[in-house]
Amino acid sequence: MSRALRHKLIRDLWRRKGQLLTLFAVIAIGVGAYVGMAGVWRDMGDARDAYYRDYRLSDFVVDLKRAPSWAVEESARLDGVVSIEGRISQSVMIDLPGVVRPIEGVALSLPDYTSPRFNDLMMRTGSRISGPGEAEVILNHAFAVAHGLKPGDRIGALLLESRQELLVVGTAQSPEFVYLIPASGGLAPDPARFGVIYLGERYLQTRSDLDGAYNQLLGRLSSRHATQVKNVLLAIALRLDPFGVTLTTPISEQASFRFLQDELAGLEVQSRILPMIFLGVGALVLNVLIGRLVNQQRSIIGTLRALGYDRFSLIRHYLSYGVAVGCTGGLLGIALGVWLQSEMAAIYRELYELPGLVYHFYGDIALVGLLISLLFALAGSGYGVWRATRLQPAEAMRPPVPQAGGHILLERLGFLWGRLNFRWRSILRSVFRNPFRSLVSLFASLIATALVFTTLSMVDALDYLMGFEFERVSHQDLSIGLREPVDLQTLTEIESLPGITLAQPELLVACDLTNGARQKRIAITGLPTDNRLHTPLDQFGRRVDVPSQGLVLTRKLAEILELKPGDSVTLRPLTGRREQVVAEVSAVVESFLGLSAYADIGYLSRLLGEEQVANRFLANSVGGEMSEKLLSRIRERPAILGLSERRHALAQLDATFGETMGSMIVVMVIFAGMIAFGSVLNTALVSLSEREREVGTLRVLGYTPLQVTSLFAGESLLLNGMGILLGLYAGVKLSEGLSLLYSTELYRFPAVILPASLAVSALLMLLFVLLAQWLVFRILSRLDWLESLKVKE
Amino acid sequence: MERKILLSVRNASRIFRMGEVEVPALRDASLDILDGEFMVIIGPSGSGKSTLLNLIGGMDHPTSGRVLYEGIDLAQATDQALTEYRRHQVGFVFQFYNLAPMLTALENVQVATEIASDPLDPGEALALVGLAGYENHFPSQMSGGEQQRVAIARALAGNPKLLLCDEPTGALDLATSRQVLTLLVHLKEALGKTLVLITHNSAIAGIGDRIATIRDGGIHSLQENARPVPVDEVTW
Repeated sequence: MSRALRHKLIRDLWRRKGQLLTLFAVIAIGVGAYVGMAGVWRDMGDARDAYYRDYRLSDFVVDLKRAPSWAVEESARLDGVVSIEGRISQSVMIDLPGVVRPIEGVALSLPDYTSPRFNDLMMRTGSRISGPGEAEVILNHAFAVAHGLKPGDRIGALLLESRQELLVVGTAQSPEFVYLIPASGGLAPDPARFGVIYLGERYLQTRSDLDGAYNQLLGRLSSRHATQVKNVLLAIALRLDPFGVTLTTPISEQASFRFLQDELAGLEVQSRILPMIFLGVGALVLNVLIGRLVNQQRSIIGTLRALGYDRFSLIRHYLSYGVAVGCTGGLLGIALGVWLQSEMAAIYRELYELPGLVYHFYGDIALVGLLISLLFALAGSGYGVWRATRLQPAEAMRPPVPQAGGHILLERLGFLWGRLNFRWRSILRSVFRNPFRSLVSLFASLIATALVFTTLSMVDALDYLMGFEFERVSHQDLSIGLREPVDLQTLTEIESLPGITLAQPELLVACDLTNGARQKRIAITGLPTDNRLHTPLDQFGRRVDVPSQGLVLTRKLAEILELKPGDSVTLRPLTGRREQVVAEVSAVVESFLGLSAYADIGYLSRLLGEEQVANRFLANSVGGEMSEKLLSRIRERPAILGLSERRHALAQLDATFGETMGSMIVVMVIFAGMIAFGSVLNTALVSLSEREREVGTLRVLGYTPLQVTSLFAGESLLLNGMGILLGLYAGVKLSEGLSLLYSTELYRFPAVILPASLAVSALLMLLFVLLAQWLVFRILSRLDWLESLKVKE
Repeated sequence: MERKILLSVRNASRIFRMGEVEVPALRDASLDILDGEFMVIIGPSGSGKSTLLNLIGGMDHPTSGRVLYEGIDLAQATDQALTEYRRHQVGFVFQFYNLAPMLTALENVQVATEIASDPLDPGEALALVGLAGYENHFPSQMSGGEQQRVAIARALAGNPKLLLCDEPTGALDLATSRQVLTLLVHLKEALGKTLVLITHNSAIAGIGDRIATIRDGGIHSLQENARPVPVDEVTW
């Protein structure tokens, strides 16, 4: 490029620095979103793969009642299995010195003489267990940190019926619990209320009545069978059926694995969609800007052509604007992305115990970010360049032909048009005579509004979900889980505990539900007839009573099994007599967490061959709290397996998601604001520069800057107002789409459309539009309108 | 009959600062404009005509000196007051018409009547300039002469006392120029307006009641024109 043209380029850009700044911001956000998300996606994926590989995450888990070691070795010879190792997994109540509340946990065994073949521990502090039979324990590191425990401390553990005193020798983390939630499910890790402890194999076998046997198998599949997990697991379950197989879980369905997997998948999708939105808007705005530039520089283009510059050098010159904008925006975006990536990595480190999740700079991702930025910027400048080079020298030197007149279609609606004053007529004609620019404005505010609303709607969905599950369906203050079913006499005992005002029994039974080829293993909850603390609701929030015979299914389960009310389903409990029966589905209820079903507690007890039993009690207490007196009474009961307080669970979810959601809202609103602000300001400034002369004339005629601004603002408000309305509609549709997308067996996201969120989104957007208009007003007030009136033709 | 002074420019100077250079566009100029007269201000390009017009029209403040309109000093007026002055007291006609391309002839006139305190009916204003029936035409559908007549209708429609015309025939051919000038003179008489016309074209000067010649930023001469030339006889 000639030096003169290079100088022209730099000065042209410098003169438009204000407009370019907002454009740079929009592009930088697009590139930053890509670089940051793709980067953290790779950081996290690499860290996960290395962790799973180096610490040998198992391919599947089989839970059973009791399998002798010879049976475990035999099952390892099944086709498709490379190796299997048995271990003990035992629910445990952890008893810490100075902590009144017993803590739910799980105790896992470690082989006495070797490292475990699967799910090896990554030691964080201290050492491994010194020898077989020692009363030593390794604690999950996050749990230890939450309670300030370190090697050398002592803890108590309630294993089966007896309390054990254990010496903490080390803390560790495992690939099995990257996302530390109980196997029974949960949404957010709560290391203060749920812990994993590791004990020596022989020690735990003895305390669990499992001498020489195991109740959980971990295994690896041969690579040939990696895609046939289900079949291999079916074969294992069949072979080991005499030993009471209760659950087979391929790793893909394991909670921690699944949460991490879902997070990575979501991140990947977002790292593609978000940049497209921002760069797309950026390209459209750039198009408007370059189009205007070429129009303004017609005579310069003509002169250059007359002086002998060929088309190619003009193409190169005007494409350079795109290159300059793309490069600057891209480089700023890479810087933003680097920051975003390290921030996101820090947030993920809070949620996931993933060693090696640290920030890395990826040159290739940065390069791709820069390239897509360039690509979009070139696409955005293409049309203007094409117009510039199509001009013939002589034609280019003449002033542009005045904008063709003529009426717009809307004017045919005489009764309507006649009522409009000249301001509205001018606004409407301007809108319809610059269809491309109008569509860009409309589209930008549509996108921005949809973005804001969808973000708010996700927060509403989480609120709704938590309110539904933890307030409307469950109303108990606490629930007490027991190791074994007990008869209903225990209810009287529970009711007489200090501070308890109301209690009711429940029975949870793991069952296989089968409908033709479709099978699902779930826990059925047996509810009493005078059920008051746990009320299943249908999708409209109406209470559904369980029938004396048959089942009530939650929606996702009914979908998976392809069942509807009135259908029959085969039911086989995994405990007790394990007899198969056919049950009728009486109703389908709503649920957003896990898969479950309800039945009458008497009906379920009889399936187990009992009169009426319960293994969980729900209770209300005075003030909804657990007094120390109550807690110490509960601690004395060795049969207790779990204890949870509804309010605490809710508060924990709020704490975990509240912060993330809060920063997500702020970031999204800023992003959307940049789109809206950038688009409004740029289109307003372009139209202002086109109509400078008109502005001057109006000022001469006695219009105040505010009155002139209102003429321009009218157009912007009309387009953006329509964009906001369409954006709300798009946001509603997007939320519905997301709720379909986030519908897994672990959790579902409802589509929640609240008028308040619609209003807040619209008002926020309006605020951005008005803010941009205020800037336009300031520019207009300072505009040298006398200059604009000087004869330029 | 002695006419009263409508507007009086007193020792007005206007100096533009271009970087470090001071460019005086108007130097110590004094001029009275009488109520109801037709004054032509003539001068070559760069002589300061437009600067003087800007001061008279309330579009700019002098660097020094005064501009008195009915006793009020425009030199001291706020921007808001000048806006009010332009809105209610002055009508402008430009060389290139400056019509809004998005608006029809009628709507262009409404632009002025909307904000005026005592406007004419926009349709009647168009009829006054001989454009009845052109209400729905857009500027791009009209000839230069027709566009300039719309501009005149717009200037009159606000019902101002003072009509300022900056090279109103500068973009028109002779025949059309004569029509426009005839119209201006006729309307001035019929509606009793004060008309100030700025031009570099000495052929036009003879049609005014008084002729001010401006040169190098100062009023060079001011002559009474006892026998204005009929517009039909103007030629160039």
